[in-house]
Amino acid sequence: MQHAIAFVEQKNGTARRVAFEAVHAAKLVAEQLGGEVHAVVFGSGAAAVAELVKAHPATKIHVLDDAACNGFLIDPIVDVVAGLAKELGGAIVVAGNTMIGRDVASRVAARLDAGINADVVAFEVANGTVACVSPKLGGLTITTCAFKNADFGVALIRPNVFAAKTDAAGNGEIVALAAPTRAYAMTIEADVDEAAAELGVEEASVVVSGGRGLGGPEAFTTILKDLADSLGGAVGASRAAVDAGWISHGHQVGQTGKTVSPQLYIAAGISGAIQHKVGMRTSAVIVAINKDGNVPIAEFADLMVVGDAFAIVPELTRGVHAAKG
Amino acid sequence: MKIVVTVKLVPDTNAEKRIDPGTKRLVRVPNETVLNPFDEYAIEAALQVRDARADGSTVTVVAMTPESGKEIVRKALAMGADDAVMLCDEAFAGSDVWGTAIALAAAIKKNGFDLVIAGSQSTDAGTGALPGALAEYLGVPGLTYLRKLAVEGTTIRGERETDTGFQTVRVEAPCLVSVTKSINEPRYPSLKGIMGAKKKTIAQWSASDLALSVGSGGAKTELTAQASPPVRGKGKLVEAADAVAGAQAIIDFLKEKKLL
Ligand SMILES: Cc1cc2nc3c(=O)[nH]c(=O)nc-3n(C[C@H](O)[C@H](O)[C@H](O)COP(=O)(O)OP(=O)(O)OC[C@H]3O[C@@H](n4cnc5c(N)ncnc54)[C@H](O)[C@@H]3O)c2cc1C
Ligand SMILES: Nc1ncnc2c1ncn2[C@@H]1O[C@H](COP(=O)(O)O)[C@@H](O)[C@H]1O
Repeated sequence: MQHAIAFVEQKNGTARRVAFEAVHAAKLVAEQLGGEVHAVVFGSGAAAVAELVKAHPATKIHVLDDAACNGFLIDPIVDVVAGLAKELGGAIVVAGNTMIGRDVASRVAARLDAGINADVVAFEVANGTVACVSPKLGGLTITTCAFKNADFGVALIRPNVFAAKTDAAGNGEIVALAAPTRAYAMTIEADVDEAAAELGVEEASVVVSGGRGLGGPEAFTTILKDLADSLGGAVGASRAAVDAGWISHGHQVGQTGKTVSPQLYIAAGISGAIQHKVGMRTSAVIVAINKDGNVPIAEFADLMVVGDAFAIVPELTRGVHAAKG
Repeated sequence: MKIVVTVKLVPDTNAEKRIDPGTKRLVRVPNETVLNPFDEYAIEAALQVRDARADGSTVTVVAMTPESGKEIVRKALAMGADDAVMLCDEAFAGSDVWGTAIALAAAIKKNGFDLVIAGSQSTDAGTGALPGALAEYLGVPGLTYLRKLAVEGTTIRGERETDTGFQTVRVEAPCLVSVTKSINEPRYPSLKGIMGAKKKTIAQWSASDLALSVGSGGAKTELTAQASPPVRGKGKLVEAADAVAGAQAIIDFLKEKKLL
């Protein structure tokens, strides 16, 4: 293992925030291995995203801006990333722990007969061996797993952990990739964006979640969304709210939803059941708003405000706007 | 159509979990173990496909688990699956995603398959990476995160959740799909189902049955350290006199934490 490949996830010219974080994470590892950072950008709009990658530390930016590949889900990307890894002879592949990232990474890992570490928050490199640090079991334990004397390894990084500051130093060389020529079995018949350009809870640095205490769907698109917007964050939810049909499953935080670790997590009308807790307990700061001061979330929130969410949340949004001027 | 459902046994989240400091493995006490909740959706999806076809299609459940998991595997049979295969071998203990995917792929090939249905993630140390790796080792397309599944002849159509919406996707069997919890409402085993399950076959295959050597020795990743996260203690509690005071308490706190 000498080089690092970063999968830059993008759609129609808009990169995921974690995509740039992957380039920086790849750089951290490659630097210590004495290797290069190769970014891969794929699908229509890739050329525009590749220009943005130039402000991040990649040695080479491999680009395939081809609409013909859009209709086949991940298969052509897997061919390209695994092919590049083999060409480099030894590499760690770094992708964001998103739905597409997991799909690409898991197939690439199998294709390369490589180990895979998920939800990585730090890398440790010693004597040419790369180890990944990941919280497991909903943050119950933190493990360090090394890739055993292998040429290849695959790491899925947790969004929001690796800083992705732009710097001109990158200025990677853009290399055009050849379009795969084989036929692919999976066909996308329709691709519907219900929530265009919305920031996912996994990537947001602030998550404002609502639970059963919010009583219905309205609060999620009004007071909660306003607060999330004021803080530049995303709206999350407990399973109770999702099961009631107030908001879609993509917003659910917890054991059967997404694991998040933002800088700030605000829970309004959420009791803090263990299955919710495991999805958010690694957040840097947790604030809870609940009518009842004796709920489980009071045991692990950094600040617990006892009161009515319907009254406090809009007031808080006003306060945030005032503080930000 | 031969349908295979992969199921994992996981610790019940309502029960306390523990890591054995010696082996560094998750301690699984039998009665604290349950079917991975996502896999119940996978079983239900398989039963619905089988029953809609009514052409002699079968559902086989495959689980890599110690022998102690037998009664939990039987729950899948009680729901209505036709038979089960357990991959039990000390050699499998400590398998990582790679080792698990290789063993499951070998077992599924030995059993034969047209459609493999997996859960999209597991609730213990799972990574959600198994379905993709398994599809690759089976050499078939993988349609992940389905919230709708329809099988007509050998054509599989699904509606796939994405981070921003959904996609409708089509593929020909053989293939693998993984399902989310929006896909259906898993049935509870009926009394008849529970009684019937006692007569169904649960085969046990070892690594040598599959001509494999995976497990701790063959894993591609190695646990080198383990630490406990800092304990999250009880924080400040503010009884808000009114909404303005409550909001102000939060604003002050966010400023103190340099979040505002
Ligand atoms: C296998 C399994 C998996 C699960 N996975 C998840 C998961 O992924 N995510 C998840 O969240 N849950 C999950 N759960 C469910 C979990 O156990 C809880 O039932 C759920 O989290 C409760 O949601 P809640 O906090 O919104 O509702 P409740 O527990 O009902 O809490 C509502 C809270 O709102 C407060 N409240 C009411 N009105 C107001 C008001 N006006 N202002 C302020 N506060 C108010 C109440 O005091 C109460 O504390 C899972 C359960 C199981 C068994
Ligand atoms: N040991 C196992 N035996 C059978 N199926 C498994 C096993 N581990 C994972 N799976 C399948 O893979 C899915 C995703 O699990 P994971 O990748 O561990 O999060 C599960 O829902 C199961 O369908």
